Amino acid sequence: MKRLAILALASVLIAGCSSSAGGSGRSTTELTVFAASSLVAAFTQLGADFQDVHPDVKVVFNFGSSTDLANQISSEGTADVFASASGSAMDVVAKEPGVRDRADFATNHLVIITPSDNPAHVVSLDSLTSPMAIVIGAEGVPVGDYTRQMLDAQGIEHAVLTNVVSNEPDDASIVAKVQSGEVDAGIVYTSDIPITAGDLHAVEIPARFNITATYPIAVVTGSEHPSEAHAFLKFVLGDHGQVVLDSHGFGPPPG
Amino acid sequence: MRRRLPLPIVVLAALGAVLVVLPVVALAVRAPWGRFLETLTGPGARTALRLSLEVSVTATVLSVVFGVPLAWVLARARFRGRSILRAMVVLPVVLPPVVAGVGLLAALGRRGLFGGWLDRTLGIQLTFTTAGAIVAATFVSMPLVILAAEAGFRATDVRYEQAAAVLGARPGYAWRRVVLPMVAPQLAAGAALAWARALGEFGATITFAGNLQGRTQTIPLAVFQRLQTDPEGAIALSMVLVIVSIAVLVALRHRITGGAA
Repeated sequence: MKRLAILALASVLIAGCSSSAGGSGRSTTELTVFAASSLVAAFTQLGADFQDVHPDVKVVFNFGSSTDLANQISSEGTADVFASASGSAMDVVAKEPGVRDRADFATNHLVIITPSDNPAHVVSLDSLTSPMAIVIGAEGVPVGDYTRQMLDAQGIEHAVLTNVVSNEPDDASIVAKVQSGEVDAGIVYTSDIPITAGDLHAVEIPARFNITATYPIAVVTGSEHPSEAHAFLKFVLGDHGQVVLDSHGFGPPPG
Repeated sequence: MRRRLPLPIVVLAALGAVLVVLPVVALAVRAPWGRFLETLTGPGARTALRLSLEVSVTATVLSVVFGVPLAWVLARARFRGRSILRAMVVLPVVLPPVVAGVGLLAALGRRGLFGGWLDRTLGIQLTFTTAGAIVAATFVSMPLVILAAEAGFRATDVRYEQAAAVLGARPGYAWRRVVLPMVAPQLAAGAALAWARALGEFGATITFAGNLQGRTQTIPLAVFQRLQTDPEGAIALSMVLVIVSIAVLVALRHRITGGAA
């Protein structure tokens, strides 16, 4: 059903593109958005919705680990907008080449995922200290750093890390390894769940143990399309953007 | 007498050389040489280097042990589906490594086609183990041995093998004294390339065997991980890989070019 909807939307978009190109001959602006890989589903939808409102803009995404993206922007500076899963990755871009209109647009929390049959009977964070195979994010990848921070605060970091069989490059590969049943548990963002709920079982982590990941977004200094970039920012921070983010498991920005 | 080289050929050759050499030179320029020794001798790097050598050498040996007989079958035997088999065994060369990793998971993972049986009956688990990293490296590098050895077998006259058999040589003896020596140069070249490919393997390894220091984190994975926190250190570490690779490829240059150089 979802696939059909996407297909329908895609064909409408394609039809829209060709008619506008044929009709007025108006040139379209390509807006390059670098976004954390946890935003793939939410931002793909937001990008399509944004193009409906701004038919003269084509949003092009580059999804990846926030740290990788920040390093790419610092050295190449090819992005118009950067949406990061961590403040520290945004700080890298803020230093070089610089950002404008920086604002927090969403929050995320951690959650334990297991294969749908939960073979290791995980019921809480403490379960993760019993012998089992666990995958988490690598150090330096935001989801990996948050996970270690949370485990450390519970005093179980060492015990859990003993069970870790792989430090993954991003949340998507953690989800994939748990989905395939190769491991007993993984720790990802709540936003990683709704897309794939079918073959995953989620074990929630109570708020008092959990950490809050805050997502900042900003226009990258040197963007060739600053007004379109700003419009996209406002769209993400606006009512519709927040509804879409909520539907993908993100929380509202702090404050 | 020196022959004049045609200019267009020289220009194209120079551009080709620049494209291949420039990134490595740029790496060398960017590398923090002051920190080089410290990076090389740091515990993480030493573990990764040792593991990389262990995995790549084992993978090369396995590639030769299984790849050469397979190449001989492809070159000498006539059977239905031979061309399909040849295409299949060479496929890993063009397959994106991540896809190779997903395929390995589907076949040999805990819930894979064959991996479930391996786990239940033999207690062998390949995912997230050094053995798994070796399997991944072998999968991507064996085709290079097969391609080289098969070309070697095809270039040598089958009648030498027949003569050895007619003169009463047993198969084992004939292989050692006649078959293998004839393809030795091609085989050495193929093995060197397979080793280099195994040493640089990333995608299939991280997908199938994961990324854990001391167990599956080879140099390419360590470089990737360090890129997240310490880009300069990552460059220093990649220079280690570059230097080791160049050393081996230069040492084997006569073999790789078939003895012409």
